[in-house]
Amino acid sequence: MNSSAENFFEAVGTPVVEVSRAWGSLMGCGFRTLRSIVMAPIAWREVIHQAYLIGNRSVPFITVTLGFLGLISVYQVAMQIQQIIPDFSMLGAAFLQIMIREFAPTITGLMIATRVGSGIAAEIGSMTVTEQVDALRMCNADPIVYLIVPRALACTVMVLMLSIYAVLVATIAGMLIANAVFDINYRTFLSVQLVSTDDVIVGSLKALAYGFSIPVIAGNAGLTATGGSEGVGWATTRAVVNTSFAVVVLDFFLSIVGHILFSH
Amino acid sequence: MKPLANAISAITASVGASALNIAETIGGASLLLARIIRALFPPRVDSDEVWRNLYNVGVKSYPIVVMTALFVGAIMVIQTAFYVQKTGATGLIGYGVGFSVFAEIGPILIGLMFSGRVGANNTAELGTMVVTEQVDALRALAIDPLPYLVVPRFLAMMGMLTLLMVLGDLFAIVGAALTAQLLVDLHWRVLLADLLQSHLLDEFTMGIVKAACFGVSISCISCYFGLSVRGGATGVGRAVNNSVVSNATAIFVIDFAVGYLYSL
Repeated sequence: MNSSAENFFEAVGTPVVEVSRAWGSLMGCGFRTLRSIVMAPIAWREVIHQAYLIGNRSVPFITVTLGFLGLISVYQVAMQIQQIIPDFSMLGAAFLQIMIREFAPTITGLMIATRVGSGIAAEIGSMTVTEQVDALRMCNADPIVYLIVPRALACTVMVLMLSIYAVLVATIAGMLIANAVFDINYRTFLSVQLVSTDDVIVGSLKALAYGFSIPVIAGNAGLTATGGSEGVGWATTRAVVNTSFAVVVLDFFLSIVGHILFSH
Repeated sequence: MKPLANAISAITASVGASALNIAETIGGASLLLARIIRALFPPRVDSDEVWRNLYNVGVKSYPIVVMTALFVGAIMVIQTAFYVQKTGATGLIGYGVGFSVFAEIGPILIGLMFSGRVGANNTAELGTMVVTEQVDALRALAIDPLPYLVVPRFLAMMGMLTLLMVLGDLFAIVGAALTAQLLVDLHWRVLLADLLQSHLLDEFTMGIVKAACFGVSISCISCYFGLSVRGGATGVGRAVNNSVVSNATAIFVIDFAVGYLYSL
């Protein structure tokens, strides 16, 4: 009786303790990163180097993935429209609006979460298990200031830039397939009549939020890696899952904020 | 002239190197797929390993898929509601949500989550086994690693991602109904009735087919990268990074290919 009650409390309590401990360490890492950005001197050379690694190196990846996303979404929606009412005049306008508001930042965020999130976790995780992070601490260099702050700054700016680029790529891909398969004029497709300032604000806010949270979550996963190559693998997996999930959750909350603020 | 020639040769070299890289990945993963199919006729599979992998892949990914699906449904309701309120076509909300979730956004987001959770984990696990020489130990014991390590993972990922997709569609509807009721002032019965009247069976089956194809590509690519790891903890981290990037690209390409073939 007593031991079964104990087992029950243990089964319920262990995940709660684990999740709250992970949440606490993540929030601590986020706040220390924010504080270091404001208070500590920033190594701009390192920020620019990271911006190159995070931004420029992701351009081919974003081009392929968002290009195919633009192709398939225009194709499928146009097929549906063709069955109901063959009137394609609003297709391009609606596509551009939902791209700016929702899909360009979110899919870019997910792609950066997989590419950059796993990269940051693998890099910092290898440094942690080979005791290079401890060596940094011994030299009185805070790993958060030295490793995470440059990545956070670079990634925040670069996800915004890549989201703008993603809108461009997806729109060009959609325009091409709309013209090739459904004979829609480029000028008819390329219409911004539904896009308002609100959409641009919501989209940019999403991109900035993803850009800051990805390196913080991935860096925290890397810094808490333990054990040898297995630990690095685990940290990388955790970083990919947590950053992708963070993008989906942030998308939900920022969509609600956008809905409440701008639905009138 | 000299710097220009140098720049041209550098660009050509990097384009050629990345083309070779892509060709090597696609070739390696396709060869692995061919060898897996060869091993299935007649079936030479370790059935204990299949059950263990079905549990590891399916049951352990269940929470993340359910959470993602709930958020996907919720996000699509918010986006569609925004668009529907602007144009005044309230009757289209169930159709819009069902179509986008079943055919497009559900498979992509759940596929990406699955690739992050299972694909990355699989690469890390196999990579660790390779760098700690456990795969060589299997060979020394005259156990072929392919039917013992790769084929069970292939079967488990293909089967489980297909089943998880059905579950994900269900939970996306739950998330959509909850959000419609609580945030958008639309009774959940209206949304469900509208959804049921929209004849979305084709979209639903297309999503399931997409999920099965994602399962095949995720298992082949992640096993390929896991088995070709070189060099310690850093090598495992890099392999996981390459694996998730290739998986994400493959998901978008397959998504387009299946969507296009389905509508022919």
